[in-house]
Formats: sequence, structure tokens, C-alpha cells
Amino acid sequence: MAQPVAQLVGIHKRFGAKLAVDNLDLELPAGEVLGLLGPNGAGKTTTISILIGQRRPDQGVARLFGQDPRRPGARARLGVTPQGSDFPRTLRVAEVIDLIRAHYPRPRRTAAVLEEFGLTDLAERQTGGLSGGQRRRLSVALAFAGDPEFVVLDEPTTGLDAAARRGLWHAARRFVERGGTLLLTTHYLEEVEALADRVALIDNGRLSAIDSVAAIKARVALAQVSFQAPSVPDLPGIEHLSQAGTTITLFTRDADRLVRDLVASRAPFVDLRVRPATLEEAILNLTGNRP
Amino acid sequence: MRLLLAHWRAALVELIRLPGYLFPTLILPLMLFAFFGIPNASRVETANLLFASFATFAVFGVVFFQFGVGIAQYRESAWEDYLRTLPAGPLPRFGAQILTAMVFAGTSIGLIAIAAVAFADASFTLQAALRLPVAFLAGAIPFGFFGIALGYWVTPRAAIPMANLLYLPLSFVGGLWQPPDRLPRIVAEISQLTPTRHFAELTWAAALDQPWPPASWLWLIGYTGLFAMAALAGYRRDEGQRFS
Repeated sequence: MAQPVAQLVGIHKRFGAKLAVDNLDLELPAGEVLGLLGPNGAGKTTTISILIGQRRPDQGVARLFGQDPRRPGARARLGVTPQGSDFPRTLRVAEVIDLIRAHYPRPRRTAAVLEEFGLTDLAERQTGGLSGGQRRRLSVALAFAGDPEFVVLDEPTTGLDAAARRGLWHAARRFVERGGTLLLTTHYLEEVEALADRVALIDNGRLSAIDSVAAIKARVALAQVSFQAPSVPDLPGIEHLSQAGTTITLFTRDADRLVRDLVASRAPFVDLRVRPATLEEAILNLTGNRP
Repeated sequence: MRLLLAHWRAALVELIRLPGYLFPTLILPLMLFAFFGIPNASRVETANLLFASFATFAVFGVVFFQFGVGIAQYRESAWEDYLRTLPAGPLPRFGAQILTAMVFAGTSIGLIAIAAVAFADASFTLQAALRLPVAFLAGAIPFGFFGIALGYWVTPRAAIPMANLLYLPLSFVGGLWQPPDRLPRIVAEISQLTPTRHFAELTWAAALDQPWPPASWLWLIGYTGLFAMAALAGYRRDEGQRFS
């Protein structure tokens, strides 16, 4: 069997009293796109920081192309997005890209990187003068500048407009078509659907599920039904229920049926609202972890 | 090597476009030399001495601010964290910082030297021209460690005020702005204990073609050890906090 691009075995990581990562195993075969989902504070960022060599696990083994990711050589085929977007303010966009390219043996051409991420017109602009969305685009561009085989994108489209988001997806797909391996964290279910082969759910530092996108989606595709009522009606199909004063919030897989049942039950209610649950809400419900 | 050059180029370009960096490192020492050095440099000896004083002040400023303030700010920057994910160790970046400090310190010394020769009566023998760079380099080492120690022990917000709070008084007490014999008596006593004074003793001796006072070498070596230990302890503490 081919060597996995990235591998975590029995990883533990503790910060003071908090166990950030708890016996986590993860494996990425070459060419796969894995979406990493989980509530804030679930341990996604710590897991990634161990995988890319920024942190040392307390226990367990991390491998990147078969080597310890803390060794610079192991990272020669890795591309990462910067977390914040605070580039050296007085450097120009093309200069920042060139500085990153210099770290890789066979980087892509600067012009090609600029073009792909819509930065050509901004090449001579100092990064201190870029807008938030332009900075995000530069951040993502840097992950691909060295022509890596494995790219880690941590919430790549947060703060991007719709067009820039589609542009990024396009670039990510082309990368995967060329044989690249991608690890992606995101808050958007549609982003996972658009890009990922598999999804891993992380909760409380543990891997709570890892499956195909369709399977995970079926598990997390919940609707939120809320209304005002004096008491909670007893209805079938409720995945999770919460009550704040007279406001009742229900999560269900079948909102149509729940509403029909609610009306049929003749229970008094006002101010009915139905909307799809966000990925965050769905995962919180799925993992049994209450906000 | 290619990486060292890339980081060097980036660091130079980054700082050259930053007026807030150029002023204190290049303009301020030259300006102070013009105000307080040139009018008092009536003879070759005093001109050489004053050149050495203000050039020492310039070198102190460049290395102290570049390493001190630079490190304090990078410690909290996501950019620096990102650079650690690239396939390279810390050496090219650190080497580039040293080379960059040398360029700025050298330029600052050069500007003061030109002013000293053109507008005062400074004149350097070949021997002085060879010994001065040695003295500047030797003095830059403890102050570089001093800056690194400061950078790792204070917060980014406190770094610039803290650096100034050490930089300006140490320069004055060390006799960089006026000769030690003109300092108030109590200040002159304290002066003997400062690293700036002993750095200046070496550059003064080189500028005047006098033998280097061995005691000043020992003082500087001692300060180098002290600051290097403080820098290393600060580095370890910081690594432990951020990347454990």
C-alpha cells in the first residue's frame, strides 16, 4: 500500500487542564480531499498544528510524507495558509509570493500564482494597503506558491465574497486534478460538498466520525424549527430540543413532517420559524455536545 | 544560501520602506552628530573621538532595535508562525536579520564618517580604518544579544518604550553624547559599569590609534555572556509557551 501523505497515530495534546486532542488517529492517502469539521475549540487547529510541525504532541506519532513534520525536510512538499493575514506591511504582493517560493525546490511561476488567485493587478501593491478579502486571497495563494503535493487550508473562504470563494474552489479542484492532496477546515457545509471526498468530525479532541461527504451530510442535515408555546408538545422526530422561556427550539431531520405534526397536535403556538440548521448547530447536535 | 538571500532581500526592502525604522537608525545619529558633534570637533582628535561616539550610538541603536523590537513583534505575529510551516529552519531568517543589521549599521557609520571628514576635521589612518570595523562588530554582538533578550522578555506593546528607556539613558551614561570627563561625577562613576561605555572605549581607542584597553574587552565579554544567557532563557520560555 502506498505511503499516506499525512498520518496521526494516537495523538494526545494537553494545554494545562484542557485535553485539546485525545487519542486521535487520522490518515490521508495521496490524492484525497478531507474536510475537517468541528465546533470551535474542538481541537481542529491543534490537530493541524501538530500535523504541519508547529507543535509537538504529548503522545503519539505524527508523520508527513513518512517523516517527522517538525523536520524542515518533511515540509518540502507541504503548503499552508497563514492563520492571520498580517504580512510584512511594506512588502509588495509579488515580493511576499517570491519570498515563499524561495523555500521550495520547484515553485510555480509568480505570474501563474498571481493569475490563479486574481492578484495580478495587485502584484505591485504593498500588503499593508490590501483589503481583508485581498489578504485572504494572498494567504491562500501562498499555500500553492511552492507547487506542493499536500495543501492544508484552514478556513480558506472565511471573509471572501462569493466570486472569490468560487475562484478558490476552482483552484483547489485543479490542484486535486493534478494529483494534490488537500486537508480543509471550514464552517461551510457547501464548501465540503464542493470539494471533499471524506469528512472527519472532531469533537472534544476526539475523532467522532469519519465518512463520505454524503453519509456525513445525511447525519448533519437538520432543520431548526422554533416557535413560542407555553409547553413543549410531544412530537416524533425531534433530534434535539431546547427551551428558553416560552421559546422552543427543535432540531429535526424532517421539518415538513414536524410542522404537520405540530399543527395536527392542536398545541397552541405562535411565531413559527423554520430554517436549515447551520453546520455548527448540526454537528453540536450530532456529537451531543451542547453549546 | 538562496534562502538566506531571499530573506535578506525581503528584510532590507521591508525596512527601507518603513520611515519609522529609518529615522531612528540612520537619521537620528547623524542628526545628533551634526548638532552636538560637528560644532565641538575643532581638532582631528576630537573629531575622530566624536565620530566614534556617535557611530557607536548608531550601532547600538540598529542592533538593539532591530533584534529587540523586531523579535517582540514577531513573537505575536501569525506571519512568523506561518514561516515556521515552510520547509526551512530558523537559520536563514536569523542570518538575514544579522546581515540586515550590518547593512544598516554600516550605512549609518558611513554617513557619520562622511559628515565627520567633510564638515569636521576627522581623519583616519589606515590602521584606524581597519580597527574600527573590528570594534563596531565586537560591540554589536553583546548589544544584539541584549536586544534579543529584551525581545523575548517584554510584550510587543512594551518593546519600543522599553527599548528607548534603555537605549537613551545607556547612551548618555556611557558617554556616547559627551565625553565621560564632562559627565557629572556620579554619572561618570556609573558610566564605568555600563556596556555602552566599554563599547565606546574600544571604538575611541581605534579611532585615535591607541591600544585597546583590555579591561573593556573583558567587560564586553562578560556582558555578552550575561545577555546571551538572558536571551537564551527568554527564547526557551517563549518556545515553551507557544510551541510546546
